[in-house]
Amino acid sequence: MSDEIKPDELLNKIDYGPRSDKGPGNWMDTSVQIRPGMYCYAAKAESVETLGLPNARPWNPLEEDWKLPENWQEILHQGMKERLEKFRTFKVFMDICVRCGACADKCHFFLGTGDPKNMPVLRAELLRSVYRNDFSTAAKILSKVPGGKALAGARPMTMDVLKEWWYYFFQCTECRRCSVFCPYGIDTAEITIMGRELLNLLGLNIDWIATPVSNCFKTGNHLGIQPHAFKDMIDFFVEDIEEVTGVNVEPQLNKKGADILFITPSGDVFADPGTYTCQGYMILFKYLKDKYGLDVTWSTYASEGGNFGFFTSHETMKRLNAKMFAEAKRLGVKWILGGECGHMWRVINQYMDTMNGPADFLEEPVNPITGTKFENSKSTKMVHITEFTADLIKHGKLELDKSRNSNRTLTFHDSCNPARGMGLLDEPRYVIQNCCDHFYEMPPNTIRELTFCCGSGAGLNAGENIELRMAGGLPRANAVKHVHEKYGVNSLATICAIDRAALPTLMDYWVPGVDVIGVHELVGNALILPGEKKRTQDLRFEPLPGFEEEDDE
Amino acid sequence: MKLKQAVKKNKELFIKKWFQATINTYPAQSAKFLGKDANRFDNPVGATTHETIEDVINLVLDDFNQETLEKALDPVIRIRAVQSFSASEAVSFVFALKKIGEDILDDSLIREFDTLVDQIALASFNKLMKCKEEIFLLKATESKRRIHSAFERAGLVAELKEEDLLGSKKS
Repeated sequence: MSDEIKPDELLNKIDYGPRSDKGPGNWMDTSVQIRPGMYCYAAKAESVETLGLPNARPWNPLEEDWKLPENWQEILHQGMKERLEKFRTFKVFMDICVRCGACADKCHFFLGTGDPKNMPVLRAELLRSVYRNDFSTAAKILSKVPGGKALAGARPMTMDVLKEWWYYFFQCTECRRCSVFCPYGIDTAEITIMGRELLNLLGLNIDWIATPVSNCFKTGNHLGIQPHAFKDMIDFFVEDIEEVTGVNVEPQLNKKGADILFITPSGDVFADPGTYTCQGYMILFKYLKDKYGLDVTWSTYASEGGNFGFFTSHETMKRLNAKMFAEAKRLGVKWILGGECGHMWRVINQYMDTMNGPADFLEEPVNPITGTKFENSKSTKMVHITEFTADLIKHGKLELDKSRNSNRTLTFHDSCNPARGMGLLDEPRYVIQNCCDHFYEMPPNTIRELTFCCGSGAGLNAGENIELRMAGGLPRANAVKHVHEKYGVNSLATICAIDRAALPTLMDYWVPGVDVIGVHELVGNALILPGEKKRTQDLRFEPLPGFEEEDDE
Repeated sequence: MKLKQAVKKNKELFIKKWFQATINTYPAQSAKFLGKDANRFDNPVGATTHETIEDVINLVLDDFNQETLEKALDPVIRIRAVQSFSASEAVSFVFALKKIGEDILDDSLIREFDTLVDQIALASFNKLMKCKEEIFLLKATESKRRIHSAFERAGLVAELKEEDLLGSKKS
């Protein structure tokens, strides 16, 4: 008997998960190393306080003591229990993973960082190992059998485990590429969402999320810009557009009784190069107003389409989202049109209706110019602007001069949420191809449903974690580099505000010479406004093709 | 000359072993995936590492200088510069060549080969520093480029101009 291997020894030899190269032992025993460049700063106490979220205090992830309440384990256990009862998906996802590994090498963070704990299966396992320890009956029974503990993969919630949760749940952009490959359809984004929600019960948010959320709650947008400054920026765009086109495109703000309310991420109003996309919307609305009498209003209250509450907790997401319907009701519009944004559309398309609906005071959206019923928005009453513009183009309602964008050779980056979260794949491509002549797709395994994330979504577009962002964005940049070298692509078009903010830096590092541009900036350049002067410059005040010399003089 | 001939003769073996040694600087479970001969868009780290190693070997068989060596090393160092390796870990893969050389080459060539590896190592240090500097510069100018410049154009703020900050990149 004595020279035979005991069952638990045998089981301990099974290689069922990544091992550390620092020596023997399995991944669950390796404590986390929080590395500068890979993590975001801790949430400021005052930002956590604004929303009345728990445990607001200054803390530093690099310090030993995270200043947690004494009963933090109990809080987490209770929090997990409540959520397992409340969210059926969470419970199912905790139970059904068979660790087949199909998702393992599909994550941009794993592919870019080479850190095995960024394999989606392992990121989920961080939570699942505690679930097995605390909640799973099967795992509890199994752990009583010799060797069963290793097989069950259960571990108790310790400070090391908590730190690991925090480090890795903020190394996931909730892009859902992994879920496309999961034979069970497990949505790892939802696991990250739950992980972050649990961390927030202990006040463990990051500041790049907490402060925008606090700003948004107080002033209506993530940057905390007040209504008068919002108006100042719009006025400034009006002046710039007039200089380029000779037409005053002044939009309507907070107009009661308008037909359509337009909401876009604040990044379009305040951050380059989104500001040029914003000018594209303004040119489009002016064109539609003059030609067809379309009555669109902007709002200084609903001045944010994005929703960083989504990266905090369901409750916070709901609170920030509420202003969209509230403002639509106050202004008495028929339906809502939404700008180019990423996660904003996952919130609208998948949660808004159940969170803050039904919006029975709004009409089912119909394009008043073409008569098209927007079936996809029947319930939410909110239409994506590329669907709207594509419909106008399809019906020949826009006069576009493609040659004004002919200095650009484009490719299109599918933003994760519109692509995987709402199936918006062809509309932006249709708009792009009607606004310019030179368009090339990136390789098929990097676009559409299989698109690679920018690496900076879900609140991770901070400065301090730039190495993580550059590593996470590598698979995307690698595909851009390919079309840049093969077809001379010099412009990366996108329909997401975070992309517009994050991708220029990513391109600077990996593929210098590629510019980032919003789809409606292309529209703004190509659209021939009634009564416009001869245009010689684009919206960035760069000479239009054919006018380069004139500009030099 | 003798050395180049010997390396040339064993080129495929050098590439294979050096690639494996480089991939083995990642944790074992990651190395399994990164070492796979997958589509270059499904496995950018593996594919880029392989191509770079091939390019560097080809280059040292030909005429090269510090500049061309740094250029050839760029793709792989650029990746390792953002992968939470320490500086020494990031360039450690170059030193793996010494052991590979010892296993493959005749003893009489080792001294010369080690000198060659030293040259590659020095070029790697240079490249790593340049990548790190690029990252710091991007970090320093990014938020200004994003938000400040829009406000600046709108005349809502007046401070240092964007060019003042970016100037250091051009100089």
